[in-house]
Amino acid sequence: MSTNENATQTYDGTGVTPLAGVGTAVWYEPGSGTELEEPPDPTEVDPATERDRFDEARDRAREELEREREQTADRVGEDEAAVFDAHKQFLDDPQITDGVEDAIDGGLPAEHAVRRAFEGPIEQFAGMDGRMAERADDLRDVRDRLIRVLTGGDRVDLAALPSGSVLLAERLTPSDTAQLDPDRVAGFATAEGGRTSHAAIFARSLGIPAVVGVGSELTAIEGDADVLVEGEDGTVIVDPTPDQRERAAVERDVEIRDESVRTADGEAVEVAANVGTLAELEGAVRQGADGIGLFRTEFLFLDREGPPDEEEQLEVYAEALDAFPEGRVVVRTLDVGGDKPIPYLEQPDAENPFLGERGVRRSLGPDADLFEAQLRALLRAAADGDGRLSVMFPMVATVPELETALGTVESVATDLESEGLEYAMPELGVMIETPSAVFLASELAERVDFLSIGTNDLTQYVMAASREDDRVAELHDPLEPAVLRAIARTVEAGHAGDAWVGMCGEMAGDPDLTELLVGFGLDELSMSAVTIPAVKATITETETTDAEELASRATEASTKDAVQNHINRD
Amino acid sequence: MERTVTVVPEDGLHARPAAKFVETANEYEADVRVAPTDGDPVDAASMLAVTSLGVGSGDDVTIVAEGEDAAAALDALEKVLSTPESEA
Repeated sequence: MSTNENATQTYDGTGVTPLAGVGTAVWYEPGSGTELEEPPDPTEVDPATERDRFDEARDRAREELEREREQTADRVGEDEAAVFDAHKQFLDDPQITDGVEDAIDGGLPAEHAVRRAFEGPIEQFAGMDGRMAERADDLRDVRDRLIRVLTGGDRVDLAALPSGSVLLAERLTPSDTAQLDPDRVAGFATAEGGRTSHAAIFARSLGIPAVVGVGSELTAIEGDADVLVEGEDGTVIVDPTPDQRERAAVERDVEIRDESVRTADGEAVEVAANVGTLAELEGAVRQGADGIGLFRTEFLFLDREGPPDEEEQLEVYAEALDAFPEGRVVVRTLDVGGDKPIPYLEQPDAENPFLGERGVRRSLGPDADLFEAQLRALLRAAADGDGRLSVMFPMVATVPELETALGTVESVATDLESEGLEYAMPELGVMIETPSAVFLASELAERVDFLSIGTNDLTQYVMAASREDDRVAELHDPLEPAVLRAIARTVEAGHAGDAWVGMCGEMAGDPDLTELLVGFGLDELSMSAVTIPAVKATITETETTDAEELASRATEASTKDAVQNHINRD
Repeated sequence: MERTVTVVPEDGLHARPAAKFVETANEYEADVRVAPTDGDPVDAASMLAVTSLGVGSGDDVTIVAEGEDAAAALDALEKVLSTPESEA
């Protein structure tokens, strides 16, 4: 990305949504409503009145937190909403309340007493590292909330920002972000925060263009400036050129199509969503997904004391199926190991976790009980929910692994039958993400209904280049000819074995690559919900014969640059 | 009454184990305080106070309880501190 195009000024940060938005900058300074004047003389303060004021403020703050918790759980997800529970705990913490009461007894009004009582703990946590330092942020939020309530300060109503605003802030708290209305906010950029910050996660769930972690340079942007937030590259551009502006507008204004789409010459291509929390289901429906191409079940197992039981899982899977009564929901069985530690599962330190015991390797080994419970819930959901259920196994590398997994499905069905529980057999499939699965695609396809290519891991394993290591980021590119040939080979083997073939990696959601993927003959593309409208639009403009020609030229290319040239030329 | 317990959860008295500890302390009719071997006791009902002790896995802490439920509170808190997180 160029930095100085004519008068434009570009700031670099971390892009967190593959979306661009352009609008008018609005600075958000949440602390400004909580500044206090000098406290009055202690003789003018009545401690009893101030204690009452503090108690009332705490009640109001608690109500606000409960409301925001509910709103966040609905719009973003249960995991993210839990941060409000922590805030409630601080609100009632005896160390804080004792501190406030002591300060009131010493002659301070309630708001000054609150400020005083939080000082020590905030300083203490801010001096620690990592998770503990984040706690200082939480404490500041709780403190500012109490002071705002006590001083009658207005909260900046982020839900009522003028349409077309680009919000700029030092940082956004979870409650700030949860208020943002994706229909009004063109995007946001923050000085602090990373890809996993609350603000980033919320932005993805709500489909808002966003760049985080720009650093203090962000403050150089003035309110009212024209700003483009490019969430794909992670750039914030002031006074964008007409060209840049137009590109962003096109991306933002793609029509949402609720119906399934075909290529210009009538080939059907299913466009589905990748979903990692229940909250994302709604976003998937809103963006016009035909179904779910990858339902990650890990969220059910993370951040809790023990695994979810069969009934709890059944409910979640049925809910996903009900969200797409006409569509297909592809559920991936538990894929842990690698980078996803789960506290209650024994996960010994592995020399190389990505090449270690993960995915189906765990399901057939140490997590066999969990696997069985999950399959029971899935088979029961298949009979219960509206949509069509498909189940796929991650990290399959050999035919016996698949056969054992399929055998477990059979035995679970037999058990359910003998227990008299209602169940149905879902479609079964394999996620193609290891090079060995590519080479065995014919044998795998003969045994299942579908294959789904996970391009993120497949690229990592084909190129032997970690996704986490910036030094080899150049190699981690699905446009490498070796990766394209692996895809082409998988599609061909799948179709020869009468299996449909889908793709559920990030590659599937890039509209610039849609024609290429249609050319490979993929039956389904599954992606982040936000990119669905653009991919659907591209499919309708694609001619299959052109696409096939492009795919064959790209597959024959010997370098990534040559592949890129073919794509640009078309 | 008081008791000295070795902290088992991997996270020590942070995050989830701390929340569980504070929650448990709040369940009893007793005034409970907790102290690391070389430090001053703090209110066991305060998440802030407990997490700021910086107690790690394998450290010893002394729990002091006074009041009606003192004995029951000590038993329950000892259990929290001696249960590995994976079984909690």
